[in-house]
Amino acid sequence: MTKRQDRQHKEAPALTRRGLFLGAAAGGLGAALPGAGHAGSAEPMTPAEAMSDAANPAMHLEYPFYSAADETAPQAGIETPPQRYTMFMSFDLTTRDPRDLQVLLARWSAAIGLLMKGRPVGQVEPERTAAVGLDTGEALDLGTAALTVTLGLGPRVFGPDFGLADKRPSHLRELETLPSDALRPGLRGGDLSLQACAEDPQVAYHAIRDLARIAKRTGAAATRWTQMGFGRASAGKGQETPRNLFGFRDGTRNIREAQDFNQHVWVENGPDWSHGGTYQVVRKIEMHIENWDNAQVSVQNAVFGRHKVTGAPLTGQHEFDAPDFARRDAAGSPVIPVDSHMRQMAHEENDGVKILRRSYNYTDGLNAVGRLDAGLLFVSYQNDPAHFERLQRRLGTSDALGEYVSHIGSGVFFVPPAPKEGSYIGAELFG
Amino acid sequence: MTRSFLTRSVAPQAVLGLLMLGAQPALADPATIKDGVAQVAITLTGDDGGTCQLDADSAAAGPVTFTVTNVSAPAISELEVLAGSRILGEKENLAPGLPPARFTLTLDGGTYQIYCPAAAQQMIDFTVTGKLAARPQGEVADLLAEGTAGYAAYVEQTVDAMLVAVTRLKEAVEADDLEAAQAAYANARPFYERIESDVEGFVLPGTDPTDSSGNLDYLIDMRASNLDPEAGWHGYHAVERDLFEKQAIDAGTKEFAAELVANVARLDDLAKGLTYRPEDLANGAASLLEEVQSGKITGEEEAYSHIDLVDIAGNLEGAQQAFAFLEPGMKKISPELAERINARFADVRALLDTYRDPQALGGYKVYTAELRARDGKKISQAIQSLQEPLAQIAEKVATAG
Repeated sequence: MTKRQDRQHKEAPALTRRGLFLGAAAGGLGAALPGAGHAGSAEPMTPAEAMSDAANPAMHLEYPFYSAADETAPQAGIETPPQRYTMFMSFDLTTRDPRDLQVLLARWSAAIGLLMKGRPVGQVEPERTAAVGLDTGEALDLGTAALTVTLGLGPRVFGPDFGLADKRPSHLRELETLPSDALRPGLRGGDLSLQACAEDPQVAYHAIRDLARIAKRTGAAATRWTQMGFGRASAGKGQETPRNLFGFRDGTRNIREAQDFNQHVWVENGPDWSHGGTYQVVRKIEMHIENWDNAQVSVQNAVFGRHKVTGAPLTGQHEFDAPDFARRDAAGSPVIPVDSHMRQMAHEENDGVKILRRSYNYTDGLNAVGRLDAGLLFVSYQNDPAHFERLQRRLGTSDALGEYVSHIGSGVFFVPPAPKEGSYIGAELFG
Repeated sequence: MTRSFLTRSVAPQAVLGLLMLGAQPALADPATIKDGVAQVAITLTGDDGGTCQLDADSAAAGPVTFTVTNVSAPAISELEVLAGSRILGEKENLAPGLPPARFTLTLDGGTYQIYCPAAAQQMIDFTVTGKLAARPQGEVADLLAEGTAGYAAYVEQTVDAMLVAVTRLKEAVEADDLEAAQAAYANARPFYERIESDVEGFVLPGTDPTDSSGNLDYLIDMRASNLDPEAGWHGYHAVERDLFEKQAIDAGTKEFAAELVANVARLDDLAKGLTYRPEDLANGAASLLEEVQSGKITGEEEAYSHIDLVDIAGNLEGAQQAFAFLEPGMKKISPELAERINARFADVRALLDTYRDPQALGGYKVYTAELRARDGKKISQAIQSLQEPLAQIAEKVATAG
């Protein structure tokens, strides 16, 4: 296994030929805005041209699914800079035969490899008239769109049914019941998880739709719960910090550096096959939007411990200024309140614990009483789910933000390392 | 026939062998024999976006075992052996990294094709030399033909029984016996639900196909959600509405019941001449399950009596019967797929059995709003897990028939 520090560089995306051509021809997309001329051309782009997929370099970003033959690498979609859209789905196993699970993981892996290259998972329009298309077709012509699909295994995979108990990743278990849990029966758990992330929502949706069909065809799994998300709500390395639906920047202090990934995200203990994997925690967090919107700005800032527009800590001027947790105001109270979200979640206050957040905003329209039904599809990666539990226990008891959110969905999964070409995710389980 | 390098993928050593043999191209690369069975290894690789490679291009007549290994071809998930346009056997769920998959076919002399959907070259010729001592019994096409004939008889019997059941319903209605009529209604429903996919689309002589009042399925099984105001209420659900919503029998109810009997009698005549192709059974089974998902899970089919679970059981039984008549042929084509579909039928059957209630109309619990909210998803999921594999068989049996 190569040094993990190398991995961040290994995952650099490959621009497709088309993308490279565009980049070269347009002389950088800055020139491709309406009103501005093409480089070397006086013709302005029409609105249709400017909005076309061809003109959008993100639609041509392609990430590798397989790891190189000589290294262990994590699955795409964890370290990958967060794309704009996600489609998450969890599944229940509908079989007790480990061979069915094996076939499903192999078929899913093969299909994910194709999808991430922008290829259909099978024929869209079969030649035989009595045949059913294998790929549903709605992503044809949309391109790779930086698609990643990340596959996770839930605790029951390693339960008594499948004879895989001795391969169980050391820390994989159901999450403890946490303070302020308001989990809904239909949004809990799952034996398998798939998270598609892409720059185009239809590309992400298509991936999950067609993978769910494969699950049902193999008879191995059925859908459990799902969530579509938009507007990445966590920054990756080099990205401007985006905002959650509370209007605050989210992820300013997120994990970005290789050293932090090694220390806090990648698994190094337990069965050999699990090394280089990570634990995925998924929470559907409903926001009490109307209550929040009517909270005065000083309250909102105090809840987060930051200024809303700049994202600066209440003790600083700029987003990335280090928070001064010790500073007190004239009355002797901490400037960054004791119950502020930033302080409660800070690694300085949690024995150095950090988790990688890779969340998305969501909306489900209006709820039963006509209020906005929206929130955060929180996704975190860590080398022990107990790290999430530790932080969430604080959020549920002493974090001011807890008043404005309810955790209504939850799942925990182990995300194995990426497969090598010719193999599949989790192949080591079936030796 | 003349064989060209272009018609199949040839390993370099096979090319060499062919060149050295020169004049005997048909026997260029015969399969080795192990324990009296010819052995053909098929390797799937990612070359050219997906390549299917055989280690032999011919075999002697008799049993042939094909061993398929997907080394690195994510786009190729299945493979078939064809004789012309007929499918003889297949393997599905092929994916890189899985153990090799094997299947054995007894092949007579002739030309066959290995079909690798989504491969760069999808069809590869395979030649069998010599003659089998005797024609194999129970070929796929024969088995499927027997199945379709058996199914035609099943449909006839079902419509016969439906005619008896709706006649009893009419008698109870005419006797103004509400309770007996309600029971007779529930008893008469499953017959239609078992075979409705075969008898939709019948149009009465001399009527326009787009006119609901001449469409036998509309006249027998229309419901509030597809009411055509010009054609009005008819059939089962018109009677149901009176018996369960109004809870009263009047002259209109009697007219509806009498008309229902007349239309089922017409259906009975029409059903007697019907013949089926194997894919009709497969598509029929699939559309019965679609009926469950579109009309019954939601509770809209039996909006007044709420005996939707009785209908679901009827749809399921009809689908299972259709599949059972295809099963001997399907087992030859793909025993795994047949087994998987059987297992899914058993799952759904077992789930529905949990709702049995001998005291309830039709023998199943009333499908109340509460039951629907609690269990609708569970039932729908189980049926969905059956629908997906079942959707694959029309293509297989159509090609085999």
